Amino acid sequence: MSRIRGLGRNTEEKGGHTMRFKKPLIAVSLVTTFALAACGGSGGNGGGGGGTEGDVDQETLGDTGSAQDASRVDGPVEIDGATEGGNINVISAAGLNTMHPSEAYYQNTSTILSGLITRQMTQYVYDEDSKSMVLIPDLATDLGTPNDDFTEWTFTLKDGIKYEDGTPVTAEDLVFAAAASMDRTQFPEGPAYSNDYLESGDTYEGYFTAGNTLDGFTGAEADGNTITYKARKPFPDLPYWLTFPAMGPQNEQASADPAAYARKPLATGPYKFDQYTPEKSLTLVRNDQWDPATDPGRTQYPDSYSMEFQVESEQIDQRMLADSGDDQTTISYDDVLNQNYRAMEETGRLVVGGFPLTRYWAPDYRKITDVRVRQALALAYPYADAYKAGGLIEGVTAIPGQALMPPGTVGRKDFPAIEDMEDAGTDVERARQLLEEADAVGYEIIWPYAKDDPQSVAAKDAVVASLNDAGFKASPLASTVADVSTVRSDPDAPINVRTAGWIADWPSGSSWFPPLIESTNLKAEGTGSNYSIFSEPTVDEKIAEIQEMPVDEQADAWGELDEQVMTEYLPLFVTGYGGVAQMHGSKVGGMNIDNTIGQPTWKSLHVTQ
Amino acid sequence: MTSAGTEALEARSDINPSTEPPAPKDIAGRSPTRIALARLAKDKVAVVCGLVLLLLVLAGLFAPVICNALNIYKDYSPGAPRASDVLDFDSYPLVGPPYYPFTWDHPLGVEPNTGYDNLALLLYGLRTSLFIAVLATVVSTVVGVTLGLVAGYAKGWVDSLLSFFIDFMLSFPFILGALALAPIITTRFGGNSETLGRAEFLSLVGVLVLFGWMGLARLVRGQVLSLREREFVQAAQVIGVPTRRILFKELLPNLVAPIVVSLSLALPAYVAAEAGLSFLGIGLSEGTSLGKTIASARGYYDTYPLYLWVPVGTIMVLVIALNLLGDSVRDAFDPKTRR
Repeated sequence: MSRIRGLGRNTEEKGGHTMRFKKPLIAVSLVTTFALAACGGSGGNGGGGGGTEGDVDQETLGDTGSAQDASRVDGPVEIDGATEGGNINVISAAGLNTMHPSEAYYQNTSTILSGLITRQMTQYVYDEDSKSMVLIPDLATDLGTPNDDFTEWTFTLKDGIKYEDGTPVTAEDLVFAAAASMDRTQFPEGPAYSNDYLESGDTYEGYFTAGNTLDGFTGAEADGNTITYKARKPFPDLPYWLTFPAMGPQNEQASADPAAYARKPLATGPYKFDQYTPEKSLTLVRNDQWDPATDPGRTQYPDSYSMEFQVESEQIDQRMLADSGDDQTTISYDDVLNQNYRAMEETGRLVVGGFPLTRYWAPDYRKITDVRVRQALALAYPYADAYKAGGLIEGVTAIPGQALMPPGTVGRKDFPAIEDMEDAGTDVERARQLLEEADAVGYEIIWPYAKDDPQSVAAKDAVVASLNDAGFKASPLASTVADVSTVRSDPDAPINVRTAGWIADWPSGSSWFPPLIESTNLKAEGTGSNYSIFSEPTVDEKIAEIQEMPVDEQADAWGELDEQVMTEYLPLFVTGYGGVAQMHGSKVGGMNIDNTIGQPTWKSLHVTQ
Repeated sequence: MTSAGTEALEARSDINPSTEPPAPKDIAGRSPTRIALARLAKDKVAVVCGLVLLLLVLAGLFAPVICNALNIYKDYSPGAPRASDVLDFDSYPLVGPPYYPFTWDHPLGVEPNTGYDNLALLLYGLRTSLFIAVLATVVSTVVGVTLGLVAGYAKGWVDSLLSFFIDFMLSFPFILGALALAPIITTRFGGNSETLGRAEFLSLVGVLVLFGWMGLARLVRGQVLSLREREFVQAAQVIGVPTRRILFKELLPNLVAPIVVSLSLALPAYVAAEAGLSFLGIGLSEGTSLGKTIASARGYYDTYPLYLWVPVGTIMVLVIALNLLGDSVRDAFDPKTRR
């Protein structure tokens, strides 16, 4: 369950990897694509060779948004010292994928929408004290009332909410959005939680595909100002799902043409579309129908936003470093390139933060059957070398660890996946011993990499050297940036290790274990997001059991399961967690990292002076 | 053998006595090549460029020896330092420039991201560039000369067909062809990095040849068209000399000058093209190439200038030396353009 595009129409295949986040285009993607070709680890011998270290909170990654506060219902929000006016420029190397709320599932599209343009029932806001995100109500008057087994959630819509054209927002609009969010044919890349959890999600084809009708949809019901969501199975995380643009209100008439709506979604938030040239630029202006008194999260300080896409990464860094003219009010949500990190950090205009991304290597459980070989692989993997080769910055954009759930996930345990192994602690000698014990010296490891991406090639070279040292026979399979994810998701590909990255959509173990290690029906679904093609009936039972547990016991149970699975089976080994390092101009205030997703805190941005 | 060309050159050298020593006995026995070489030896630019080139060729040729002697590595072969041994947390080197003093362990510093030695990368890159350029030049010259000879000498449909083919290939976009070929090579040979490296190498040479032989073929064809009607060719035809012999023994020796000139100008073009393709990521992904190094060094132009400017400067010097030498060769072989 990642915020990354899905790999197919099947609802179980929402998998993704870091490559897909920001729709990489040529040069930019080099950093991100590396993550799938050979994900790095970090630390090496104690992390960070010396010199400066990033100040990412490595213990918790800033606690990725597990706090809730149902009492913050009304606005307006005021930021001390912030003044109205000005224009904020946003530059990025990647284009926007689609801006249709039902399909926006990339880091950039979903947060630009939910932060500035569309309002949802619930929302995240940045908390200065904990430096973390807190879940608060948005269009709803509270965080919802569940029934005993979390299969029915009731929300009340605030009064007086309007779209940018003055049409009032009704509870029916939320029902419509929920129905549209089930449309995997019209919105193949959108998030599919409605299909997974809500009633009729497995039978109803979605509003557009079903023939522009709500017949057959029973996932949500409106009654006056109240809306009730009905789930097929316990869905305690529903308030998190409601933060997605896909679940925000959409008027049935206004959004009748999905292609047109993607070019200009109707705003309910403080800004609305002005000019939008897909993949190139987007300008936002104030939405005068937005009532700050009803919004406990957003602000409307800048007059406008001008976003420019497909700018070369190197150019972005140079503009942000130079900080001249208009660039003083410019931000970028791209990570600073590793070669410019020191210079940028000195300016004090770099914000760093974590987000729930785990990069890992997934040995094919059908092919590499001996756990000792998998452990040897984890020990032989050159974490630090691969980081450097991939342009990741140790301790900033790459954070070592061994548990599948990244720091900040509720219930997470910190443990060595292999006895006495340090985080990102490459130990070639021990790997060799394990291989000898398993009588598998010369074991061939085949994984795909993108040969047209120099960083992927460099990382591959580092891994090859280290694996060969440990007694493996490393045989990387050359692919291209365009093809590598296809190779990876093919269960019959001639490879025995897959590389992947996973971002949780909310801070709960349920967004990690069911998608990543639960058995999949290979024939019907392909690998899905279970890239190790892991299948152990006892683990499947355990996962099912935890999902049936009382909600307050689940978190710890996921943590226990993490340790049990990793130490016993090691279906995958973590090469590192994610972090971001983003730049802003000297006249931009309020920029922090939304650590639920690794994007700027759009809601508090303002121009200073 | 006395051919038209020799006579012509001798005649011309008589016209210009100031540059030729007044020794009538010498003139009688010298071939056009010897005359041209003698002229080259007197050309200061040619001599300097020749020496620079010799130095670069030797550096490339003896790259393994030099790297062994200095104990530097262009990859992670046994004994080479790993990235984490020589690089800081943000991939800047922990030894040598830009942040640490010069060290003989790595005279040009180490490469960020990988920790390879820059001097080793340079030497091996030079080796790759020169090898590919020479190979492509030789093959495209052989192909171009052969097809040009045949097209020019054969009348009728063979000439039309070959001329059309030459025009067709000339109109085909080079970069597009290279771009289209790269993924095909990857898919076909991607299974093993050794075969992939070889396949990439050969396909790069292939692409360079495929789009590089036409100019020479046209030139040769034009020359042959005019030579064909000369008396010595007609005489050979009359006495029944086989066609192959006429082509290679009568016509070819008269084409030495244009061929040498085209060859000497093709070399720098291929060096630049190889670097360019590797820079674009459609050349070599395995192994070392100056273009590849420049591509990854782009982002370091202000923070680690040595890393970028040394390979750029080397390619520049190599291409300029080859070009100037090519100019001088042309001047030497073609007295009409002598300055």
